[in-house]
Amino acid sequence: MMTATVSRWARVRDSFLWYSFKRDKIAIISFIVLLAMVLSAIFAPLLAPTDPYDLAQIDIMNSELPPLGMSGADGAFPLGTDAQGRDMLSTILYGTRVSLMIGFGAVILQAVLGILFGLLAGYMGGRVDAILMRIADVQLSFSTLMVAIIVGAVFKASFGSIMFGEIAIYMLIFIIGVAEWPQIARTVRASVLAEKKKEYVDAAKVMGFRTNRIMFRHILPNTLSPIFVIGTVQIANAIISEAALSFLGLGMPETQPSLGSLIKSGFDYIQSGSWWITLLPGLVLVVLVLVINLLGDWLRDVMNPRLYKG
Amino acid sequence: MALLEVKNLDVRFAVRGGDLIALRGISFSLDKGERLGLVGESGAGKSVAAFSILNLIAQPGYIAGGQILFEGKDLAAMSERELRKIRGNRIAMIFQDPMMTLNPVLTIGTQMVEAIKAHRRISTKDARAIAVDKLRKVQIPSPEKRLDQYPHELSGGMRQRVIIAIALLLDPEIIIADEPTTALDVTIQAEIMALLLDLCEQENVALMLITHDLGVVSQVSQRMLVMYSGRIIEQGPTREIINDAQHPYTQGLINALPQMGEPGARLFQIPGAMPSLKNVPSGCPFNPRCSFVTDKCRSTMPEYVRAGNVEVACYEVERLIAQEQQAREVAP
Amino acid sequence: MNASPLVDIRGLEKKFDLSGSLLEQISFKNGRFQRKQESVHAINGVSLQVFKGEALCVVGESGCGKSTVARTIMGLLSPTAGEVHYEGKRIDTLEGKALLPYRRKMQMIFQNPYASLNPRMTIQQTLEEPIHFHHPDWSKADVLNKVQEVMQSVGIDPDWGSRFGHEFSGGQRQRIAIARALAVDPEFIVADEPISALDVSIQAQVLNLMMDAQESRNLTYLFITHDLAVVEHFGTRVAVMYLGRVCELAPTKALFATPRHPYTQALLSAIPRLEDGRPNYIRLQGEVPTPVNLPPGCVFHGRCPYANDRCRQEIPELVATDDGGQVACHGVEEGRL
Repeated sequence: MMTATVSRWARVRDSFLWYSFKRDKIAIISFIVLLAMVLSAIFAPLLAPTDPYDLAQIDIMNSELPPLGMSGADGAFPLGTDAQGRDMLSTILYGTRVSLMIGFGAVILQAVLGILFGLLAGYMGGRVDAILMRIADVQLSFSTLMVAIIVGAVFKASFGSIMFGEIAIYMLIFIIGVAEWPQIARTVRASVLAEKKKEYVDAAKVMGFRTNRIMFRHILPNTLSPIFVIGTVQIANAIISEAALSFLGLGMPETQPSLGSLIKSGFDYIQSGSWWITLLPGLVLVVLVLVINLLGDWLRDVMNPRLYKG
Repeated sequence: MALLEVKNLDVRFAVRGGDLIALRGISFSLDKGERLGLVGESGAGKSVAAFSILNLIAQPGYIAGGQILFEGKDLAAMSERELRKIRGNRIAMIFQDPMMTLNPVLTIGTQMVEAIKAHRRISTKDARAIAVDKLRKVQIPSPEKRLDQYPHELSGGMRQRVIIAIALLLDPEIIIADEPTTALDVTIQAEIMALLLDLCEQENVALMLITHDLGVVSQVSQRMLVMYSGRIIEQGPTREIINDAQHPYTQGLINALPQMGEPGARLFQIPGAMPSLKNVPSGCPFNPRCSFVTDKCRSTMPEYVRAGNVEVACYEVERLIAQEQQAREVAP
Repeated sequence: MNASPLVDIRGLEKKFDLSGSLLEQISFKNGRFQRKQESVHAINGVSLQVFKGEALCVVGESGCGKSTVARTIMGLLSPTAGEVHYEGKRIDTLEGKALLPYRRKMQMIFQNPYASLNPRMTIQQTLEEPIHFHHPDWSKADVLNKVQEVMQSVGIDPDWGSRFGHEFSGGQRQRIAIARALAVDPEFIVADEPISALDVSIQAQVLNLMMDAQESRNLTYLFITHDLAVVEHFGTRVAVMYLGRVCELAPTKALFATPRHPYTQALLSAIPRLEDGRPNYIRLQGEVPTPVNLPPGCVFHGRCPYANDRCRQEIPELVATDDGGQVACHGVEEGRL
């Protein structure tokens, strides 16, 4: 077992992926930044000085304190506080956590739907293909916002706003996941169409393997690289969508803020000089989306089969 | 003086982990009107040789040493401007895939006229006349009509004829043909090969034919080179090599052909495969597959020896020649 | 031959629809809507019998339908008309479980060794999967033994099982593809241009391997190729195809000694041989017509130097000749040729 893991590591070490990663400074920096953000989001409950969800820890007297380095700053709140007196550092850590959860969750949902429908459409062809791809077209012609407004309104009406706060995160994952699955389905379908012409698929058919086995065991693994690339970019897109929805008040409630709802909650105070409530979470959002997109670009360059061979 | 003389040409590819040697010290010459066959399996470096003659080696490849003398001038040291005057004009090239030469969105006529005008100051009318003349030479029916057709309207055989006509447009001294018939069917291949042969004879053009097909080479070329792993291992008159190959690899290549074996019996086979450029063995590159291998073959690269009119790089041949000489000296 | 054939193809036809969906078929011409359907006639009434232990070679130029014959026999395509029988049982209509035993008896080797191995599977996985699938009752050790046995028999070191396809050369990949076909102990193998993507010295290795396997495993081959030199060496009998029809079928020796059909004669004369100094071939007029609009009569008449009015109207059937072969040619039948 030991030898197997060693050889796997050796395979990674000798691979083109690792080679080009090592030579690409932007990719390395982006990866480190992303890793740091993901880790601090995961360990937010340990890292954050206070728990912003715990109302007992909040004191309204501490509201709108500026970050360190400005007059009137309080050492207990390094990044200042928001209008309700919550510690900005803590809320940003928790907010990043919520944003990332929605980003990853939505993309996982997109991937499941997209891979399933893309594989079916590409491999079966004919009528199945036509129907699934028309559904995808219809889906894409609704904007994410419209779906969110409708679904959000239905959810709020049927569950009430307290209950809604608890399920908002799942609702957003569902909305963004469902709205964006055709992106992945189309990519998968295109690669399946290319792969199913190859002779290894014929060889599997001649062996008598069943359709499911050929689709999932033989074709799917060969379509993963483009899914990987588009999946990465989709995470960034999902995070932005969530931020936009929350900013419009259709997303996370202020009691469980994401980066988007933090920006929104600070937006009203920007005129009164408390710029940090909006700007700091905004900065984190920009950096987060930027590093994910940079990584996505790098992945796309590396995994492009045409460039790969050269 | 030979029309084209390649001397000790070294071509390398700069890749991660150092240079790969694609051609190591190849030397050969081509006389006016001569037909030279260049044979080798994939990866032997035949196409690299063809491209480097016109200094067309693309990144990351580069010419690391040696000379390519065309009428005494070194193409390897020429500027891109000077080279353009020679490419297509004095030395033409025919590729395996016609669509490497033909632009799918332009008519045949436009492309031919453009090619002429790139090298000569001439009116479009005169250029079209030349184009029609050349199309007639390659036996394309109703050539005036073809000028207004697009490449996709022609069949594979016709396209390859158009390519030959384009190669002949400016009356070049040399045509380099890289697997010109590999993608075609047997009957079409025979026609195109015969046509190319006739035209080169009529117009006294030197032909350098690159192919993996020994049958084609034996029918078309007067002299041939055999390449293995970036090196010429045997060169000489075609008939002499086909009838009595010296190098064990050439012998194996000829004997492995199904037409040489007894029907239904096992074919002669060379074990193993040609090494990739990444791990060429030391010494003679053929040594791991050779049945005459000695320690010397594994450590040092053999130099060329003459056996009759044939030049061979092989220690076994060298030993046999020495033996023969000894026998002759002892005999009287 | 009196023995009953192992594989019997009767009147096989395959058309590929070119015209697309209903909307694409309808056109507006001369003030009227017209529905136009076009199809490629890849094979038109091919009947072949393959006998146990022989290697039947199907030769022809690109577009003659030889690969379509192979793929239809293997069930990768369903025939438009005609039947495929294996050991006397009709198999082209079977589906699912009923077809499984034939999947084991009939296997296929493909042309392109770079595409015929799944790039994400190791060699071990590639070879184990069919054995597991067809012998679910075998123990892990049995499967491993079988994998080792086939790897050894094709000359691939069993220790290389954990490697992926792309780590091997073209010749080695083709060996692995052959090993995969042999892993389920087939009786009949369809080889679709198995050596044409390989280098000369490697072609000999693979051909030898296939002949050894034929001998040791008592295999029957249907060998599809465009290379006549290989046919002469490998085939027991040869079927020459042109535009979806068999124009001559004869024992290899007889065919190469006395080709009867004008097309076969032209084809044989075009092989580049080492002996001759110059290409010396029978020149055919024109080019192969497209299989979309088949000419009436003999498919070859447009290029045949001996064609007469009958050839332009009537389709010739295969007729037995005195040297044990069959020719579809009016000229030969009438004694003109």
